[in-house]
Amino acid sequence: MIVLPTIPYNTLVVAAGVAAVGFAAGVVGSLGVLRKRALVGDAAAHATLVGVAAAFLMTGRRDLPALLLGAFVAAVGSLGVLVLLRRVTRTRDDAATAIVLGVSFGLGITLVSGITARGIPGGAGLEQFLLGHTAALTASDAVLLAGVSAAAVLLLAIGLKEATLVAFDAAFAAASGWPVGMIDYALVTLVAVMVVVGLPAAGAVLVTALVVIPPVAARQWTDRVTTMLVLAGCFGLVAGLVGVGLSAAVPRLSTGPVVVLVAAAIFVVSFFGSPSRGWLARWRRQRAVAQGWAEGRIIEAALHAMQASSSGYFTRQSIESRLGTAVAPGRSSTMASSRAWRGLLLRHAIEPAPASEASVLATQSSQGISLWRLTEQGKAEAVERARRLALWGDVLAVASGDARAFLTIDLPPPEAVLDAARLHAIRAAVAASGP
Amino acid sequence: MALLVSEWGAMHAWAIATAAVVSAGCALVGTLLVVRRMSLVGDAISHAVLPGIVLAVLAGGRPGGVLVLVGAVAAGLLTVWLTQFLSTQGGLSEDAGTGVVFTTLFALGVVIVTAAASRIDLDPTCVLYGVLELVPFDTVEIASVNVPRAMLTATVVFLLLASAAWLTWKTQVLTAFDPDAARAVGVPVGFVTTGLMAATALATVASFEAVGAILVVAMLVVPASAAELLVHRLHHMAFVAIALAVAGAVIGYMAAWYFNTSAAGMMAVVLGLEYLVAAVVAPDDGILSRVVRRLGLAWRVLCEDRLAAMWRAEEAAAIQPATASTDAPASTTSQVRSRGFSQQLALRWLAFSGRIAAVNGGWKLLVQGREEAGVIVRSHRLWEAWLGRHADLPLDHLHPPAEWVEHHLGASVRNRIEADVGRQVSDPHGRTIPPESEVKGEVEA
Repeated sequence: MIVLPTIPYNTLVVAAGVAAVGFAAGVVGSLGVLRKRALVGDAAAHATLVGVAAAFLMTGRRDLPALLLGAFVAAVGSLGVLVLLRRVTRTRDDAATAIVLGVSFGLGITLVSGITARGIPGGAGLEQFLLGHTAALTASDAVLLAGVSAAAVLLLAIGLKEATLVAFDAAFAAASGWPVGMIDYALVTLVAVMVVVGLPAAGAVLVTALVVIPPVAARQWTDRVTTMLVLAGCFGLVAGLVGVGLSAAVPRLSTGPVVVLVAAAIFVVSFFGSPSRGWLARWRRQRAVAQGWAEGRIIEAALHAMQASSSGYFTRQSIESRLGTAVAPGRSSTMASSRAWRGLLLRHAIEPAPASEASVLATQSSQGISLWRLTEQGKAEAVERARRLALWGDVLAVASGDARAFLTIDLPPPEAVLDAARLHAIRAAVAASGP
Repeated sequence: MALLVSEWGAMHAWAIATAAVVSAGCALVGTLLVVRRMSLVGDAISHAVLPGIVLAVLAGGRPGGVLVLVGAVAAGLLTVWLTQFLSTQGGLSEDAGTGVVFTTLFALGVVIVTAAASRIDLDPTCVLYGVLELVPFDTVEIASVNVPRAMLTATVVFLLLASAAWLTWKTQVLTAFDPDAARAVGVPVGFVTTGLMAATALATVASFEAVGAILVVAMLVVPASAAELLVHRLHHMAFVAIALAVAGAVIGYMAAWYFNTSAAGMMAVVLGLEYLVAAVVAPDDGILSRVVRRLGLAWRVLCEDRLAAMWRAEEAAAIQPATASTDAPASTTSQVRSRGFSQQLALRWLAFSGRIAAVNGGWKLLVQGREEAGVIVRSHRLWEAWLGRHADLPLDHLHPPAEWVEHHLGASVRNRIEADVGRQVSDPHGRTIPPESEVKGEVEA
């Protein structure tokens, strides 16, 4: 029988509570991120300190529900001030956010420092709200946090359709008669609620990360809102749990920074590793496209070179002069072209001339230049490519209206392909034959 | 100053001077950040320089030393670069990317500070909100004067920033207000922006010991935003921002001393109050001046409406005394007798200023009042005529817009409208439009 290390009941309950907070913050934050309101919560988060300090001064005790209520009032108040600044002053949105954030945090620091300096009993612990510290939580505190989190998730679930609509197309929602302003306010208030209940876990300075990083990480994995919400919730849950665990294990380590770093690690993995939107996958796809394009150009040039030469072989030099870029590795070749050359070799589309023939032909070409030819497969590929290009040419010539449907913005600018006089003539011809 | 030094002691004076110089540098950089709408970038950088500072200190740099400055600037530029990388390579929106990057870097800094607290001379509390009160204790001797190290750093950084701003000012202005034009005339816009980011990091790290990483954002953005409300030219804005920042530092420090609390926090609060005052009293866009302007307009409209109503009543009486009440819009005669407080006030003012006079329980127009009233009525009826001709509105829709426009038409506009509608003698309701020659006076507000 395995003996489990005994974890105190209180620690377990606190961990569960913080996990619930992390989950809810991820879920609620997802809509905030989708609505591009990621940093609005930050101003509210910094303002919570004022509410915490004020609530402490009023009640005289470090009673979590009261402190969080104060924090919530301050958070909503700061958002109100933000709206007011935008309405009645010329100050732009970003500056208004920074003003509310900086000044309210300064006020919070002033109050907390004043309380500490006066030696009011219990006041020293208020600094824990700066960076988060879960060790001081009791089981009933954790139940409160979990309860509020559950309520927030439930509210969001009820209004999910409306919130999604506003997040993705506010103009359409407004035109369809939805009260976009109300929905926005509700959403921002929910974010404020999560910022407040996230305070013990992450602290005023970093709690924004709880509502931003897990959603942004989740966004990398999916294009569906519900999937994103659940994923973001799970990421937040993991970050919260690990943060609580580590800060309990390591002395003096605040919870907030650890939570953020765990969330950031999840984000980094998601950002690079996700199979659909991940940076690596995207980079690989782009490279494959570039390589395919380069391979096509090489075998096309190779076919022409073979047909042009009497021997039926081609040299790298002839290809390079046709393409205008170096293709052999090791020289001033573009990466894509040299990879393409290797790719063609690997899949056996080109091959070096057999040694017997090469020695014969070596007299004809200068020394040290190797000869190549297309394999049967390579030839078939080149012919097929030529056939497609020719066919497209015919389509463009005869039924350009049909071809137009396939025009993409990836085409090079016409000026890069045709000279100005030719383009001018084409335009003139179109204008003459126009309707 | 002597009094200040003797009462507060040289230490307080040094702390105040440091705070002032630090704030001035931040305000200068902040001016450009605010007009370029990069306030939140400033916020992000000021958080994110922490790991740079901490790592530099771990590598043997001392707070305020060159190594730390370099580390902070590197971390600041890394923030900007990472945010851009996330948005261009990962399709993250700018704010989401910023939110991810600066919280992560700040958390990293805090964790390293906590982990290495025994080995380095940085305190997590200092990181969060600075310890301006301790600045005077770490001094270097220059010309037999003990100057706080932070003051020295702050002064050097401020001079650096000020001279950079001085030398590149035109470029900065052009880049801030018209980046496309700047690019067209060959300004390396990207380089200028990177320079501004580096300057932000420098200003931040110089302020670090004094106000900590988070309150820097207040020093950066608040004085500049207040200055933006007060003046309209960028270099005025920079000077006003610096003045406000210095005032905020001095008052904030003294208030913090008086209330026995954090100087950095109090400085941010004082700056917030300065912004509030600026928002209220700003000459053009201030809340107060806007209220005054609106009240002034409301008062003018009120007075002019009284005059016009009396003019119409006179006109109606002259045409046909018996049907006076039906000719003019139904309300006018009753309005003349109205007992509303504001209207009574307006009538008293009109009487006091010699436009009307009291006659047995009612009022009558004097010469000046009649002229001014005529202008209003003429404007009103001309506008109705013009709308009737051009806007294709039903007759009963002509009155409300004219009631609004009548207070805003000048003589030249009236004459042009008259030229347009022809010298018709009556408006669409069939009432006479008084000719300009009869109403020559302009109404004075």
